[in-house]
Amino acid sequence: MIRRWFLIIGASVLIASMIEARPAETAADPATVITNLGNQALQVLGKNVGSEQRVARFRQLFTEDFDVPGIARFVLGRYWNIATEPQQQEFVRLFTDYIALAYSNRLAEYSGETLRVTGTRPAPDGSLVSSEIIRTNGAPPARVDWLLTQHDSAYKISDVVVEGISMATTQRSEFASVIQRNGGQVQGLIKALRQKTEAAGLH
Amino acid sequence: MYLRALRPALSVSLIVLALLSSGCATAPQNPQQAALGGEDFHDPFEDVNRKIFDFNQTVDRHVLAPVARAYRSSLPEPIRNSLRDFLNNLQGPLNFANDALQGDFGRAKDTVVRFVVNSTLGMAGLVDLAGRWGIPYHEQDLGITLGVWGIPEGPYIVVPILGPSDVRDFSGEVAQGFADPWNILAADNNLLWVTFARGGVSGIDQRARYLDTLADIERTSLDYYATIRSLYRQRRAAMIRHERKNLPPPAGFTQNGGPAPSAAVVNQAPLQAVVYAGPNGAEVSR
Repeated sequence: MIRRWFLIIGASVLIASMIEARPAETAADPATVITNLGNQALQVLGKNVGSEQRVARFRQLFTEDFDVPGIARFVLGRYWNIATEPQQQEFVRLFTDYIALAYSNRLAEYSGETLRVTGTRPAPDGSLVSSEIIRTNGAPPARVDWLLTQHDSAYKISDVVVEGISMATTQRSEFASVIQRNGGQVQGLIKALRQKTEAAGLH
Repeated sequence: MYLRALRPALSVSLIVLALLSSGCATAPQNPQQAALGGEDFHDPFEDVNRKIFDFNQTVDRHVLAPVARAYRSSLPEPIRNSLRDFLNNLQGPLNFANDALQGDFGRAKDTVVRFVVNSTLGMAGLVDLAGRWGIPYHEQDLGITLGVWGIPEGPYIVVPILGPSDVRDFSGEVAQGFADPWNILAADNNLLWVTFARGGVSGIDQRARYLDTLADIERTSLDYYATIRSLYRQRRAAMIRHERKNLPPPAGFTQNGGPAPSAAVVNQAPLQAVVYAGPNGAEVSR
């Protein structure tokens, strides 16, 4: 009798956990998301594209496929809560411009190359997808890991880790340094971001 | 990070600096920063570091970068690659020692095979034959070994000319400079210039590889010093984790100090639920 109860409850827990895990898998396969997005990005941001157009394309990609609000919060760290609501809003807007400006060129280096997903593992709230970019210049493949978090039915990218270097952590560290050197004022960072993006002809 | 390879060459003159910074390693963290509860940059000597960083930037702009550009434009890529393979091959004995000290015998074996094959069939290392056969070169140094042993990085330091480092990595670099068999061979035969030439070419080659990337990062950074500091520390941490084998924990979940659960743990979650249901089930029936 005890044994039967054990089996029934055990089986039902197992089934329940499978059902629970199901939506995550059917919504969209993380590996496919990255394969498609990565290769699309490598083509769209080609070297022969004008830099202005490249920034615009990257900005669109960033706002559509990345968890921009989540990333903006993360990179501001504890200063997010210190910032006023208008400051938060302005920061998110300037941050989006700044990321498009800073990273579109860096990605162009890999244009025309192929991204291959090498593995996926679960992460809190989502998945971590490992990939490598096969270089055409004979260099060893570049290792890129993507942190995906689930938002309703779609996956959004929360972080990109290149050869062990997290872009989110790097930005967070740099922004914290700028704020600290401006006497702990978030406004100092906002001003620096505005200058940088305005100098590049954005806005 | 650039000019890293110059380090063995200059180790003699810089040992004093290493001792100095080791002495400083026990200095308390910047109390103001700790009180603010801000990001921990591991950079208690930031003011001095920034000054040295600015000096390095000036030297780089006027000397190192122009030389690296000339090197890149005057030598065709296959020749530069071949030179790099040759220099990498010279690292063989030290890489083997570090692989072994880390207890990584798989990589130690790779290093031996690479060194034997490339030194002979690969014409003294000019051709990376082993790499083509599927045994790629891996970077290795004493700083990584010390990190694998659990020795903390210590304060971040910017070394004149040589660039970003930390007390652990720089001490390792200096010690390794003395242990390098080619350096010892050169010193015993009064050929110290060979050591310097090797360090110089290696440094220029490294700088040439990162010309565009570093220029782009500098152009787009709000605080270039802070960006380089973050990049250096993350990259070193990744090398110590031995990236190829272990995935890094997702960034968003490492901030509170707790490492992300490993894949194995997550995969076992449903299994654990079943096991856990066992005693409960027994209790219900009782």
